[in-house]
Amino acid sequence: MKPSLGEKIYLLAVYMVLAGAGLLCLLPLVHIASVSSSSLQAVASGHVTFYPIGFSLDAYKQLLEGTPIMRSFWNSMQITVLGVIFSMLFTILAAYPLTRSYFIGRRTYTFGIVFTMLFGGGLIPTYLTIRSLELINTYWSLWLPGLVSVFNLLVLRTFMENIPTEVDEASRIDGCGEWRYLLRIVLPLSTPVLATLALFYGVGYWNAFFNVLMFINEPAKFNLAVLVQQMIQSQTMLSQMNAASGSSEQIMLTPEMVNAAAIIIMVLPMMAVYPFLQRHFVKGVMIGAVKG
Amino acid sequence: MIRLWRRNIPLYMMFVPVIIFFILFKYVPMFGAVIAFKKYNFADGMLHSPWVGWDNFKLLFSTPTTLQIIRNTLVISLLSIFVGFPFPIILAIMLNEVRRMWFKKVVQTLVYLPHFFSWIIVSGIVITVFSQQNGLVSGIWESLTGSTYPFLYREGSWLAIFVSSGIWKEAGFSAIIYLAALTSIDTTLYEAASMDGASRWRQIWNVTLPGLRLTIVLMFILSMGRVMEVGFDQVYMLQNSTVSNISEVISTYIYKIGLMGSQFSLTAALGLFESLISLILVLIANAIARKYGNGLW
Repeated sequence: MKPSLGEKIYLLAVYMVLAGAGLLCLLPLVHIASVSSSSLQAVASGHVTFYPIGFSLDAYKQLLEGTPIMRSFWNSMQITVLGVIFSMLFTILAAYPLTRSYFIGRRTYTFGIVFTMLFGGGLIPTYLTIRSLELINTYWSLWLPGLVSVFNLLVLRTFMENIPTEVDEASRIDGCGEWRYLLRIVLPLSTPVLATLALFYGVGYWNAFFNVLMFINEPAKFNLAVLVQQMIQSQTMLSQMNAASGSSEQIMLTPEMVNAAAIIIMVLPMMAVYPFLQRHFVKGVMIGAVKG
Repeated sequence: MIRLWRRNIPLYMMFVPVIIFFILFKYVPMFGAVIAFKKYNFADGMLHSPWVGWDNFKLLFSTPTTLQIIRNTLVISLLSIFVGFPFPIILAIMLNEVRRMWFKKVVQTLVYLPHFFSWIIVSGIVITVFSQQNGLVSGIWESLTGSTYPFLYREGSWLAIFVSSGIWKEAGFSAIIYLAALTSIDTTLYEAASMDGASRWRQIWNVTLPGLRLTIVLMFILSMGRVMEVGFDQVYMLQNSTVSNISEVISTYIYKIGLMGSQFSLTAALGLFESLISLILVLIANAIARKYGNGLW
């Protein structure tokens, strides 16, 4: 079937639009990276577009020396790694029994869990509950409320249900107990979905802002997200940094440069991990999409 | 019978922590929402604070601020949904047309990326790019019109930026659902159509879109069900006092007045109102979706 001229033009248009869309997603980040590593004059005059002019890492130096950004980075790391471990643990422990048809109360539990997706106590009651448990200002207040995402749970459960019953019966005949079946057979078979869910949880914990804002009062415990947001919103950080620089030459930086550098620091871990995990999560989301 | 119980023991060992979690952190707050009908104070806690019935609600709905907040929430939400709706669909259809795998993979990688950025990052980018002093867009605008424009400080442009940044962030990732649906369309339909002489465009109109109709309806209904939930992060990052008339939404208001201002009962009432409306909307949405043959459960 020979493509007509109209079809060739159409296809060309599609490619161009898609290329545009891809660039649109990439270029803002490139611009920010350029701003963060350009010289003061270039940024102030508004000439920086997509490559650094007058390459300098002053903004980063100032950030690392004058602000608690490394500590916040480390906090974010702690919150994310431990959060993913806890969440994955509980999600697995929740999903597996729900796939067993002989689990007493299965329907009730499923309904009870799905119901929490539709209706919640709201922000204030949740806050007050956490407070009455005296978990304010600890990282538990970040891990516990969002421990299990019902959406992730359902995705995992669907995947587990699709494990053929022959595998189940064969292991049953071999005298395999529930724990061993879960650990030796179900989990190894579920690695794509587990990787996807770990990624989703990880991104959620790394980017957590509102919860940290709500529950954590001590600035030393802030995570990267809150710190960067404060920097972007207020100029006082900048003057603090200038005061802390201490060197005889006042290194003047525009707020944009500092913000840009902070944004890059926050994005870097994700960019490092993203290409490797990208192929996995598309499959995971498609499984979730089939469900609902 | 005993065998059934015995088989359930390891399962319950696994599940009991989960039950505790859901009760403690999901259902206790649900019942704690009862403070919407009380006048909460620290000393008496959730259980013993004095009962005031509908007073909080009456106060809430007689204040013009509340109605403005709700209006803002709906405006922002509906705009975001309606304006943003076509983009993932168009993106998915276009990606489906591409035959060169490497191109498709690269574009997909790029386009899914913004979904993983937190709103801190996206708002940081927006604020930098639209900044009146040195922003990239401001520079271009200045060379075109000769003067600068306070993009983030005028209600109209703020709203446009808000909605566009939301689309930028989520359109790519949302397209995955449509891409999945596209793969389930019977390819023989395409062959039959092209044999009847249909051009690619015609094929999209008559085969692809009808094939997607179910998914589109479902996604639309689902987003309608969540119209009251304007996320805190996006609004909080992008708002400023100049545009507070249109940018204060339910979630940010509850945070500021409830948490920061310690008006717990009042904002709990607002939160309960929001949760109830959301629940009703989702139930209605699901009932309609059932009519089309595809419910959530």
